[in-house]
Amino acid sequence: MPPLELLFQQALNGLMLGVMYALIAVGFTLFFGVLDVIHFSHGDIYMLGAFAGLSVLTGLAAAGVGAPALALPLAFAASIVITGLIGVAAERVCVKPLARSSPLMTLLATLSLGLVIRESVLIFYPRGADPKPFPWLLPQGSFDVGGVVIRYENLAILAIGLAAMVAVDRIINRTRMGAAIRAVAQDPEAAQMMGVNLDRTVDATFFLGSGLAAVAGILSGLYYSEIHFIMGVTGGVIGFSAAAIGGLGNVYGAILGGLLFGLVQTMAAALIPRGSEFRDVVAFAVVLLFLVVRPSGILGAKSVERV
Amino acid sequence: MILVWAAEAVVLVLVVLGILVEAPLALAGTAAAGLAALVLVRVRPRLRAALAGAFAEHPTAALAGGAVCALALPFALRASPYWTFVATLALVYVVIGQGLNLQIGTAGLINLAGAAFAGLGAYTVGLLTVSAGWPAWLAFLAGPVVAVVVGTLLFVPILTTRGHYLALVTIAFVFIFNVLMNNLEFTGGPQGIKNIPTLRLFGYAFTTAPTVLGIALPAHANFYFAAVALAALATGVIRRLHDSWLGVALNTLRDDEIAAKCCGISIARAKLTAFCIGNFFIGLGGALYAVMVGFVSPPDFDFGYSLIMLSVIIIGGVDSIPGVVLGACLLVPLPERFRFLHEYRLLLYGVVILVMLLYRSQGLWPAAVRRYR
Repeated sequence: MPPLELLFQQALNGLMLGVMYALIAVGFTLFFGVLDVIHFSHGDIYMLGAFAGLSVLTGLAAAGVGAPALALPLAFAASIVITGLIGVAAERVCVKPLARSSPLMTLLATLSLGLVIRESVLIFYPRGADPKPFPWLLPQGSFDVGGVVIRYENLAILAIGLAAMVAVDRIINRTRMGAAIRAVAQDPEAAQMMGVNLDRTVDATFFLGSGLAAVAGILSGLYYSEIHFIMGVTGGVIGFSAAAIGGLGNVYGAILGGLLFGLVQTMAAALIPRGSEFRDVVAFAVVLLFLVVRPSGILGAKSVERV
Repeated sequence: MILVWAAEAVVLVLVVLGILVEAPLALAGTAAAGLAALVLVRVRPRLRAALAGAFAEHPTAALAGGAVCALALPFALRASPYWTFVATLALVYVVIGQGLNLQIGTAGLINLAGAAFAGLGAYTVGLLTVSAGWPAWLAFLAGPVVAVVVGTLLFVPILTTRGHYLALVTIAFVFIFNVLMNNLEFTGGPQGIKNIPTLRLFGYAFTTAPTVLGIALPAHANFYFAAVALAALATGVIRRLHDSWLGVALNTLRDDEIAAKCCGISIARAKLTAFCIGNFFIGLGGALYAVMVGFVSPPDFDFGYSLIMLSVIIIGGVDSIPGVVLGACLLVPLPERFRFLHEYRLLLYGVVILVMLLYRSQGLWPAAVRRYR
């Protein structure tokens, strides 16, 4: 049994990873809510968010705006907008036109769109095959609570992630567009009869979800201090798993699922010998277990199909 | 009957020319001839009707002609062992594609772990022969069985769930498989398994270059003939299954589970059967790959290959059995022919699939409507 401090340390790390996973998972769950589709290229949208953030930061540094307090918010804002628009474009091109055909078609289309995005970054981004170093912009240094080292940058990542989640909660529960998103998720036809513009709502949902993925992408760049074009594959699979554990269609479930996935990963790394190599195996085994025990997810409503 | 054989001979000649011709002018000529043939068939309805009628009337002759063409290919390619290898690889993809098509096309079971199941077959062969000292042919038979067993274990948790969970589980499985193969010691880690002994039949090693009718063929021709046999076997078996009661049941539950249930189909049993049979052929393809190449390593079976297997099905036509053959024979050799595009290969795959899905979702050779007489 490892010492307690190590467990706490790993729990903190797990929380950090969990916040990023949760932000990706919220996108999956939102898209599933409004269009009943799994948007498999969402992971690659997350990767694009990280690359957009890095490009903006590089551009800002070249323009002489190097101060983190200014550069970082700008990078977040720009990346959210760029990635959000790309997300909307992805939806217009290959999700919406296929939404009425069989789910297999959407799945295949989004999978191949993800492949296209990935390969485009690999080929067209300068030296796209190499991992890209991400600048250290968060305050460095740390303090110590009972043997657990807490780094300032970790706190900053947690704070940004939490802020993003609170923002989603506000948008969904307090704004007109949020009400429209909820209405469409419940019943698209009834929502349209109440005057909800379906196309605009779907666009807004994809903008929101992709923007969150961009936040997650930049956060992961800040956390690992490097990004790689392949990161979207694992990111997407984990985000989807998190959304499924939480219950597809439920935003809070997705957040819970993301945090749980991060915790399971880091705990596996701490508790199992050679665990850091096998942490994904353990985490996916937990996902499988969830599917057996509670197929509709932690917070998912049990669906009864009517004919 | 003459018409059938003439058409097949033309296709064979065009394929061989397309592969072997090096000079740009001759290549352009071959492509133009192929295109002209296609256009001619398209714009002359009488020729088209005559061809379709001839193929429908003489199915045995058509099959025999196809078999002769397939067997004749290595003789035409004997100058280039490399292209014999590529042709064999295409046939391996036919075996895998037929299995995957039963799952994805016929039953609507979204299996994104094609590469992992093929990898299971291949690794089983490698481990059993190199580490356990089994004879190659026994290990070769054990490969697909292992793929079926592992597939069943994966499938049981999601028997009662619906929707996209199989996609989730299979994606997760590809990644787990890669992590395990990379990190476990007995699988050789990132180096993989080297020096897998080749198949031996009655003391005849498959790596010796054969001489047939006095013509020396490259060593891979052995595997080519074996792959032709296996591809024919897979296609035949899957075709019979597709036409059988099981195929109808799978199509029904793919289109409407509740209706299928009301017709008395046991959803769980039918799905599991389709999944197992599909994995058997996918594992068989992987095992064939292992004995052919003699070397397996984790990057040969990563998620990208799952997507390539998937594109074979989509390009050919979902649920279309001849489509799978066409898809594999197009998708595997074409990127090899255009090596200068190699860097863009996956990007082009992605774009082509996307365009196909958006504008011709039934594939190049759409599945025929079932006919019962």
